[in-house]
Amino acid sequence: MAMQDDLRAIEAQFTKSLANAQNMEALEKLRVSVLGKKGSLTSIMRMMGKIPPEERPAMGRLANTVRANVDEALKQRTTDLTKKALHERMQAEAADVTLPGRRISQGTQHLITQIREEIEDIFCGMGYIVADGPYVETTYYNFTALNAPENHPSRSAKDSFYVVDNAPEGKPPLQLGDSDVLLRTQTSGMQVHYMEENEPPIYMICPGTVFRPDTADANHLPQFTQVEGLVVDEGITFGDLKGTLDYFCREIFGKDRATRYRPHFFPFTEPSCEVDVSCGVCHGKGCRFCKNVGWLEILGCGMVDPNVFKYVGIDPEKYTGFAFGIGVERVAALRYDLPDLRMLMEGDMRFLRQF
Amino acid sequence: MRVSYEWLKELVDVPADPQELVDEFTRTGTEVEAIERMGAELDHVVVGQVASKEPHPNSDHMWLCKVDVGAQNLNGDGEPEPLQIVCGAQNFEQGDKIVVAMIGAVLPGDFRIKKSKLRGVESCGMNCSERELGLGDSHEGIMILPSDAPVGMPFAEYRGMADTVIDCEMTPNRPDCLSMAGVATEVGAMLDVDTHMTMPSIKQEHGVGPDGADDVSSLVDVQIDDPQLCPRYTARVVRNVKIGPSPEWLAKRVLAAGARPINNVVDVTNYVMFLTGQPLHAFDLGKLSERDGKRHIVVRSAREGEHLTTLDEQDRALTPDMLLITDDRERPVALAGVMGGLNSDIDEGTVDVLLESASFDSGSISRTSRNLGLMSEASIRYERQVDAASCADVSNIAAALFEQCCGAEVVRGMVDEYPLRKEVPAIVLRPDRVRAICGAPIEDEFMTKRLERLGCTVTPTDGQLSVVPPTNRPDLEREIDLVEEILRLWGEGDVEPTIPAARNHPGGLTEEQRRVRLIGSTLRACGLCETSTYCFADARDLARLGMAREVKGVPVRIIRPLVSEQSEMRRDLMPGLLRAVAYNKDHGVPNVKLYEIGRVLFGRENKSLPDEQTYVAGVLSGSWEDDSWNRKHLSLDFFDAKGVVEELLSALRIQKVRYRVPEPEHSAWLQPGLAAEVVVRGAVLGWVGNIHPQTLDLFGIDEPVVAFELSVEALQRLAQDQLPYEDVPTLPGVSVDLAIVVDEDMPYEQLVQRITSAGGKLLRDVRLFDVYRDPVRVGPGKKSMAFSLTYRSDDHTLTSKEVDKAHGRLVTKVMKSTGGEIRS
Repeated sequence: MAMQDDLRAIEAQFTKSLANAQNMEALEKLRVSVLGKKGSLTSIMRMMGKIPPEERPAMGRLANTVRANVDEALKQRTTDLTKKALHERMQAEAADVTLPGRRISQGTQHLITQIREEIEDIFCGMGYIVADGPYVETTYYNFTALNAPENHPSRSAKDSFYVVDNAPEGKPPLQLGDSDVLLRTQTSGMQVHYMEENEPPIYMICPGTVFRPDTADANHLPQFTQVEGLVVDEGITFGDLKGTLDYFCREIFGKDRATRYRPHFFPFTEPSCEVDVSCGVCHGKGCRFCKNVGWLEILGCGMVDPNVFKYVGIDPEKYTGFAFGIGVERVAALRYDLPDLRMLMEGDMRFLRQF
Repeated sequence: MRVSYEWLKELVDVPADPQELVDEFTRTGTEVEAIERMGAELDHVVVGQVASKEPHPNSDHMWLCKVDVGAQNLNGDGEPEPLQIVCGAQNFEQGDKIVVAMIGAVLPGDFRIKKSKLRGVESCGMNCSERELGLGDSHEGIMILPSDAPVGMPFAEYRGMADTVIDCEMTPNRPDCLSMAGVATEVGAMLDVDTHMTMPSIKQEHGVGPDGADDVSSLVDVQIDDPQLCPRYTARVVRNVKIGPSPEWLAKRVLAAGARPINNVVDVTNYVMFLTGQPLHAFDLGKLSERDGKRHIVVRSAREGEHLTTLDEQDRALTPDMLLITDDRERPVALAGVMGGLNSDIDEGTVDVLLESASFDSGSISRTSRNLGLMSEASIRYERQVDAASCADVSNIAAALFEQCCGAEVVRGMVDEYPLRKEVPAIVLRPDRVRAICGAPIEDEFMTKRLERLGCTVTPTDGQLSVVPPTNRPDLEREIDLVEEILRLWGEGDVEPTIPAARNHPGGLTEEQRRVRLIGSTLRACGLCETSTYCFADARDLARLGMAREVKGVPVRIIRPLVSEQSEMRRDLMPGLLRAVAYNKDHGVPNVKLYEIGRVLFGRENKSLPDEQTYVAGVLSGSWEDDSWNRKHLSLDFFDAKGVVEELLSALRIQKVRYRVPEPEHSAWLQPGLAAEVVVRGAVLGWVGNIHPQTLDLFGIDEPVVAFELSVEALQRLAQDQLPYEDVPTLPGVSVDLAIVVDEDMPYEQLVQRITSAGGKLLRDVRLFDVYRDPVRVGPGKKSMAFSLTYRSDDHTLTSKEVDKAHGRLVTKVMKSTGGEIRS
């Protein structure tokens, strides 16, 4: 029965060593010492032929059991040790997750461009195209074809930047601004250009820079941004103007904002009005932000004056239309309550980064 | 236009609360700028009655009174309760009506009435003297009011000092509303209520001459040189005026309208102007020269070199485009429609008055007023057109008031030169057209009614309306003008909003517009922030950069710039961006990464309009970010800027881009050796490089700045929407490293070109991963450039033999073509 004792002793010794094997190397060493070519169990199994035949079945069963036990225990231990190793590695890798991340910082878009693109997208969604026009205009496009009378104060050199005309020959002597050429004071001139070049139906906006001789201060810039809008089609009504601008105001300022239409006067539209949006701070009750009026003026608009249609050869009996002009800096100032418009032109990274 | 509510009340039915009218003004298009309460300084000052008067317990000259102020003071049960007031005056008795300043009143001189104790007794107000109320100098005792003064009535109301002045901003198309009568008409139409304008009339006209047989034409004649500039001129004469202060009602109206009462004659002319909108001028007849027993008024243009001292005692140099009223043609006595002359003004000695009521050309008055920098109540009205048709009526109103307020005798008749009479033609108004334009169900009756309220004559004809507007509405000429009137009175706010269908009109951005957005979003993804700088430029900008005039052309020059640094339009984006860099550095911002997509304007010889082009430019200075706990950053250098340009061109799918060393004379603003032109198929798109340290110095920057500038038009031209698809490799490639030692002046671009052409079709990628210089190991004047080369075939996995063969051939060829050596 010596073999039987040996088998039991091997198993007992293995179990004891297994408990001491703390890593995969030790475990492998143990496996080789028991199951390797020269391993203790392998050696005993090899002696199986030398025992009496009648004992072989029982001894064989015992040897197989021991071997199965050893295999199973090794497998279990391997799993345990792998888990342990993984656990330790993860513990070592743990970090203070409140530390700042490694960012790839994108740049930001200028506030005015953001709002301009937002306005473009709103109107593109309603089937408009976006037109672009020249910064330097003739008085014809900036005033005359927009029905502005010859004596209109906006034509004066106090309200417009006139520029040197490099081809003044053949033009009548001038007094007003000493030139027939100026930096556009409004994007409205694009109405005329566009109607000259396109047949109705017209659904157009024209965003762009305009210039007026206002010394830069907290509330004025000599250069600012307007978005002109023009619709000319059959059967266009004042109701269409309202529906369009109501939609625009809610898109740009929020669904909860109300609009108010105040009749006004512009040379190139009739009837004309100014549009106010309810104050976002007090919602119409009156507060410091809206100077206790409850409303904030945001744009001017009106039905295209038949005289303007005559200048561009559109039949005012067949077509009607509306036009509007939005001040982008005004929208920006209202949205963010900007204290000083000059910040928009300084390029200060601390300002630009905020939007 | 200052609208006195008390005055307006006399002319039209108005709501009790001025705020209601203000809301209606806003709704119908009259902008209200301010609401001013006259008599507000007398808030909390009321009529009281002395209920009891007892000696003050601790004083021998003061009284302890109970003063009844009616409902102005209520006890806890809501019952009127007299105020206890300590008073030192001696001139009153129990039962007298007096003036009480209650707690909260602020009397002239910022004298605040508070609850106080006088010799130990509580006093809840003050009984006022005239002086304390700012009404006079009397301080003998407190004011005693007539016994019928209603107890509790605010004192300002009692004295008729209470008024609300609504200050309205009238749009330039509404000259009619620069008068109380015009505003009353507007209010009548707005509220659909009646006006009641009764004007004073002359009681008696006096003849002149022997036995009084002659009329005014024996005293005055009028001659108009140019009827276009003066369509009508009327003159009346009133005699024996007694110059003195105006009656209180007149002074009050003039004051409320915003003028200072001067004397009865001047105040009448101002009052009538505020009432009717027709400016009047009163000359002292005695100061006008007489010839053949008559005064000769001549309306003519000024002559070169003429001068006139106006009523404000300023000497005015006149120019021929100014219109004058002259005395017998020679002596100017007034600047027509703007201001009278000092030589013929009304003063205490005035006896006879010549009254002018005339119409002048609005453009001429506007120019004169602007050129002289002289605005008056008259010029403001003439500028917007004064109704010639009513000159005579207005003159009669003024004459009647001279009679009434100045004791004047009105000379019979009027000299009325009216060479240019304008007819007001009828306008055809189609009610269906009104509804079609407005998109609102406005009824015919509404149109008729409100137009009539505005003073129009409306006659229905064949389903249409024939409308004759009043003469004081030059803005009503066409059907659309009437549509505007109808809509604003009906209510723009009540029109139902609809959105047009935009049928047969596909909208959206163009390809070019989407690409401009892509340029911006790519630069932002690269970490640059968009900025916006002025399109104005300093005339010295390009010289600072050393940019050549041949390239940049002539500037667009502003005739009257606001500041000398903005005297022309920019021809390059870089100066503005460099100023932005300087601004940031000056404000302690070390890392600056900016781009701008903006327009530049190139003037053209013999062309009125410039060539306008769009450029995109960027500036980088400092480092990408501040160093953080787990990442350190290098200073931004040439290759950061170039990387941005490469990324941008790649986003636009622009291929075959080359970077060329520019001629120094075409890149004076760039540091030599760190500057490149961006070239695609022979065309220069722009440049990238380090800004020259001397240029930086001129812009006040003392740190390196790398920058780029590209033509957006060129980018648009070369950009592609898509490139052909290439198969994704399925078979593994083999990488082989190759370090070649070449002469220092061999450019990378050239070396890569040699490698690529030597590599054959199996060579798929060439990547530079190191550049190494060492005088000993590499050799002086040499550099080692290490590449990682990838070989791959699309149809089979390459064997090492194939790779060795291809690589060996490559090395031989490259050595030969470059004269380089393999570095092992």
